[in-house]
Amino acid sequence: MIERARGLSRAAPILLIVALAITWLIPDAGWLRAATTESEGAERMTSELDALVDEPLVLIGFDADVGTYAEIRPTVRALLADLLARDGRLAFVSLTAEGRALASAEIARLGRGEANPTRLLDLGFIPGAEAGLVDLTRDIRVDGGDDGVFAREVEGAGIAAVDAILVVGGNDLGPRSWVEQVIPRIDDVPLLTVTPTVLLPEVQPYLAGGQLAAGLITPRDGVAYRQVLELGNLERLVEPTEPRQLPILVGMLIAVAVLGQALASRTLARVRLAGSRSVG
Amino acid sequence: MSGFFGTGMADTVGIWIAAIVTLIVLGALLGERRLFGWSQHLLAGLATGFLALIALIEVIGPRLLQPLVVDPTGRPELWAGVALVAAAAGAPWLPRQLSAIPASVAIGALAAFALSGAVIGTLLPQIDASIVRAGGSVATMVAGASAAVVTVLVLIGFLHGRPRGRVVSSVAGAGRWLLIGGLGGWLGFLIVSRLILLVDRIGFLAGDWLGLGR
Repeated sequence: MIERARGLSRAAPILLIVALAITWLIPDAGWLRAATTESEGAERMTSELDALVDEPLVLIGFDADVGTYAEIRPTVRALLADLLARDGRLAFVSLTAEGRALASAEIARLGRGEANPTRLLDLGFIPGAEAGLVDLTRDIRVDGGDDGVFAREVEGAGIAAVDAILVVGGNDLGPRSWVEQVIPRIDDVPLLTVTPTVLLPEVQPYLAGGQLAAGLITPRDGVAYRQVLELGNLERLVEPTEPRQLPILVGMLIAVAVLGQALASRTLARVRLAGSRSVG
Repeated sequence: MSGFFGTGMADTVGIWIAAIVTLIVLGALLGERRLFGWSQHLLAGLATGFLALIALIEVIGPRLLQPLVVDPTGRPELWAGVALVAAAAGAPWLPRQLSAIPASVAIGALAAFALSGAVIGTLLPQIDASIVRAGGSVATMVAGASAAVVTVLVLIGFLHGRPRGRVVSSVAGAGRWLLIGGLGGWLGFLIVSRLILLVDRIGFLAGDWLGLGR
């Protein structure tokens, strides 16, 4: 009995992966959707983007985390494509090495997708964590010999040229750091964010208090936002297929089952102990 | 599809390497620990190398050496920075009073920025936002009052080692249960994130590598 239980617990992770792989291969069921088009987060984001000036200059603080980027990646790519579709100009900056690696990969991806290179600016990595963020509000340096119009404008006017800030969070220097270090030092610039669900407890108070103008935080927000996008020929910049919902649902059900099994066995052990005490 | 790879030969090689390393990591679930250990070393080595590369190419070169070479007297603060770096590098051979200066400056500056930012950017605005004001909607008032009550209960839950009566003990107990509930909710969010990552890796193996489901 004990051997069987041991064997089962050893095989459980592989069984989980096999189950997820099988459900990943099953074509998406029409009845299973992560969201309807109604999401307050998505609506706020869309209305904030609609309110931006023509050809907005958006500073993108790209500090995602490799461990959670898979969750927000489709939404980040859709948002970048949306900003480009609105004739936005995107300046990427990172304050963590991990974020820098992911930002480089996304900029390279936009290049492969033939996004207009005059609308993209790579500001690279800024050292110094919080101090680096404060430095960013005083002076933006453009390295790498970029002498295009966009680069000159950013270098000349600094943060004053920015119409909106988008923080792609997940790492240590996420939306909270931008709210604390940047927002108090600049004039009325909307701060937008895309973060993984795990940061919801941290970001929600800033959204409720108005310090963050809009945020796409849960997968539901992301799906609702992506559903209403009209990108025209920039569709090529978004992910060709939506993330599969069925394996995520199956994985969550398995997680709940494991949790229930642990609770049930604990309760059973307590009942048995109480029973043996009363008999004794 | 992760979308990180193109169609060139280098991308194909990258996909194969990524797939093999992913399988090695998943193989640890079957008990294959040696290859998993190597993959961890590979990750640590690559991360360190990448960090060093960024430090050299994006920080030390363009932000320190280049300005000093172009105009040695124009940026005196950079010389102070060089002196601090030299003091940190020579710490094993220097007197403690001297070698402690760079670490003190780094920790002091970090604490100053973090603390002042937390007070100005988070604490004060959040207190202001959670104050229950007359004239607001009922939902806003209830949310604000609930936030204040929960905050107070959890703070009292952190009281340790002081004599207290039955009421304070009950309140502290309630605060601790709320804290545990909050941590449980947060762990639930973490499971969602990690589950999506696992499904994404399976998607990478099946889609990007094996070409299934495209």
